Amino acid sequence: MVNLTIDGKQITVSKTATIYEAAKEAGIHIPVLCYAKKLLPYGACRVCLVEIEQMKGRLIPSCTTPVSEGMVVTTTSDEIKNVRKTVMEFLLVNHVLDCPVCDKGGECDLQDLAYEFESISNRFEGEKFDLPTDEVNPLIERNMNRCVLCGKCVRVCDEIVGYGSYSFINRGFETKIATAYDRGLNCEFCGQCLSMCPVGALLPRPFKFKARPWQLKQVDSVCGYCGNGCTVTLGVIGDKLETIRFNDEIGVNDGNLCIRGRFGYSYVNHKDRLTKPLVRKDGELVEADWDEALQVAADGLAKAQKGQGAGILSGARLTNEELFMLKQLAKTLGTENLDHSGGECYKGVTEGLKETLGVAASTATFPQIEKADVLLTIRSDFYETHPVVGMVINQAIRRNDAQLFVVADKRGKLNKLPGAKTLLSKPGLELDVLNAMAKVLFDEDLAKTEGVEGIEELKAALADFSPAQVAERTGVDAEILQTAARQLAGAGNAAILLAYGLPYQGLNKELATAVANLALLAGIPGREGSGLYLCGEKANSQGAIDLGILPHGNGLGAQAMLAAAAEGKLDALYIVAEDPLSSYPDRDKIAKSLQSVPFLVVQDLFLSPTAQQADVVLPAVTFAEKDGTFTNAERRIQRVRRGIPSPGEAKVDGTIFALLAGKLGNSLSFTGPAAIFAEIGKETPAYAEFNFNEIGPQGVIWGGETLQPTNRKLVVVSGGAAVDGDFQLVTGSALYHSGTVSTKAKGPMAVLGEAYVEFGREDAKKLEIVDGDLVKVAGNGVELKLKAKVDSRLPKGVLFAPYHFAEAQVNRLYKGEAVIAVKVSK
Amino acid sequence: MFLEFAKGLSITFKHLLPGHSTTVQYPKVKLQMSDRFRGLHRLVPSQDREKCVACYLCPTVCPAKCITVESAENEKGEKYPKIYTIDLLRCIFCGYCVEACPVEAIEMTGAYELADYNRDDFQFTKQRLLK
Repeated sequence: MVNLTIDGKQITVSKTATIYEAAKEAGIHIPVLCYAKKLLPYGACRVCLVEIEQMKGRLIPSCTTPVSEGMVVTTTSDEIKNVRKTVMEFLLVNHVLDCPVCDKGGECDLQDLAYEFESISNRFEGEKFDLPTDEVNPLIERNMNRCVLCGKCVRVCDEIVGYGSYSFINRGFETKIATAYDRGLNCEFCGQCLSMCPVGALLPRPFKFKARPWQLKQVDSVCGYCGNGCTVTLGVIGDKLETIRFNDEIGVNDGNLCIRGRFGYSYVNHKDRLTKPLVRKDGELVEADWDEALQVAADGLAKAQKGQGAGILSGARLTNEELFMLKQLAKTLGTENLDHSGGECYKGVTEGLKETLGVAASTATFPQIEKADVLLTIRSDFYETHPVVGMVINQAIRRNDAQLFVVADKRGKLNKLPGAKTLLSKPGLELDVLNAMAKVLFDEDLAKTEGVEGIEELKAALADFSPAQVAERTGVDAEILQTAARQLAGAGNAAILLAYGLPYQGLNKELATAVANLALLAGIPGREGSGLYLCGEKANSQGAIDLGILPHGNGLGAQAMLAAAAEGKLDALYIVAEDPLSSYPDRDKIAKSLQSVPFLVVQDLFLSPTAQQADVVLPAVTFAEKDGTFTNAERRIQRVRRGIPSPGEAKVDGTIFALLAGKLGNSLSFTGPAAIFAEIGKETPAYAEFNFNEIGPQGVIWGGETLQPTNRKLVVVSGGAAVDGDFQLVTGSALYHSGTVSTKAKGPMAVLGEAYVEFGREDAKKLEIVDGDLVKVAGNGVELKLKAKVDSRLPKGVLFAPYHFAEAQVNRLYKGEAVIAVKVSK
Repeated sequence: MFLEFAKGLSITFKHLLPGHSTTVQYPKVKLQMSDRFRGLHRLVPSQDREKCVACYLCPTVCPAKCITVESAENEKGEKYPKIYTIDLLRCIFCGYCVEACPVEAIEMTGAYELADYNRDDFQFTKQRLLK
């Protein structure tokens, strides 16, 4: 700690603080322009100049100067004011004064400073810039005439996002921020730069000229896409969600968002949203009133339950309270056939982790990743499924010199991060790599075996997994593999990350078990600062597991339900917030199930391909239209708040469940989400210690920052099997989309609007395929025509297809396996 | 004393003479308003459009909340008011909108004959305000 005096006030701060931070802590205001809490000090704008007794004679920028013992700082005096005012005059020499038409007006730092310093005239004259605006991309408008060269966009893109789109070019007065070769911006469009820009140089295009910041109603909520649980602030005008605002004061994400979170909101306002219940009459879906639709649904489900049974299949984007209601509804109906998210994809958590560690959740929280020394991610897709955790990984590398190892079948953003080492294996053989790493730990006596069961069995089972053997089978560099294992075991803090979701069903449980084995041997679970992270693809994947939206007793799981339906052994299906036909593996089988099932109720936002098959369609609402809680992938329970009313007659899912239960003879009456949350605590003990109304902006974490495993048992996992064939197709998530709902949002669709199959350059050259060609991909007895995309990510023989697009029907090819052998022809 | 009376009455009688009356024979005769009079608003046109750039300062400053603006982008990529309406029934003619306007796009004219029969007729749209 260091003692210093600022404006006569005695302050004690940590020795790493800068003068600005010390002053802020003491409640003393120093104006800044280029400072941002999450970025490294830079000192570009010189607005924060202060006087230091010990360095008299010149003024010192407070945001870059570290504090020292006995420092005496003056933050305001006539001289300082004059100098700051002059700095403002310099900044305004070539800044165009188009505040009336600039969307930043009202929240512009430069405008605020000009007001603070009463800068009404300028002693200096300079030419105003007249550069063309960059409107090539659909999401971010760059107007460099308004730029004040604070460098925040350059720094955030480099330090936080790790993409590096921007840089300063030219010298002196001609200096400007530009992209590579000064072409238009073409990046991952996370929009971190526009949230950082203190002026109107970077603005969101979808929100262009829509409103002034002070007209917006702002509601803090949680993003409805992935399991990262980023805090988003809904910007509402009237009854419409018009923008997503950034907020770096609260939440778990430091104001960082990805393209989906920042630009993927417009599905909420989509014109195709369901607004009235639909009931099938004479083969046609026709509009009905709620009472009729609910009666038909309740009668149908009750009748089915008396026959061969009914099944309930839920999505993982419902709130915890709604999932609880759904569970009660299932009880009322008397069915044990209850499952979510395809049933297979979360088994890594509910079975893999449960068997090894005894817990079904990530063992640590995201902020701990930033402090890790060694990181291991399985699949490079981790960045695509959870971009904001990817940014945390980037910070761990840049701020703390963490070493990243990526076990993957293809390259991606993560592999390009500084110092990242890739264990590039053939698709489907990641398991072997993980097993080999475990073997290295055994062989070199690095394994932490204290209190761990099943050591001998695993040791024996790993006989065939020596680094050399595995290197030969998988193509991984044996030396990197050994280094990775050694570093993982030797690290002070280590983190292992694995994502799960619908496109990653193959070998899900096995992969989770293998990473859990490795984590146990490296002593990671339960150790302060280290963690094993299994991150769900959907906003409330963890909540659905916590609340037990799983088959109980003799109940059927999702796949079993669908199979039973296909065989005519299930009389009704109630599908909530899911579109199995578009997103579940093996579309043909699901089509058959939906056709064969005598009674189908679908509750969704849109008339999805699944809903089109239904007998009753119930219109539900989005995350922006309901209250409740989501539990993110680090076990953090956060509040979801209602920002806008639901369109037409659409109802909150929870309300629909209550009404339906009422029709079935058990009115589930609760006064609101708070009452339901209290009720959840009775069934899920981990939630019992929290009060709904006391969940603050940072949320609450069940199980504590570091979750202690209840057992430590190694479970033998056999290796994966490589598939033969010239080409191997893997499915997965594309960066710009999450699930199928983002295909209804304008932002993500503007960047990636249709399905594709990705080729590596080598393969493309051999097959004479160029970007945009239509190619035939055949495998699993199905042939699909897809647009080709050529990139340098994929090794020879590997193809990649994202699963988000319903029309492309990639899930006809993909039947739940880790890798598919395919043939390609033009 | 009589002289004082006469002096006083002479002023009175002077005002009785034609041309010295302060009463204006409205509506046959109308007063010429001062330039600073705050009557009906007018949106100032420029060559091919209104001068207004839809910056939202007037609806923000308006104490009676009588101005509705909705901005949009025109073909040239400029910001313009798609909707600009003043609800004259709520307007208190304070002139803050004129004062707030950064581009001098709104001014107040001398027009004060604003009575009408329908409530709807008091909604002054962009087209009416531009006349």
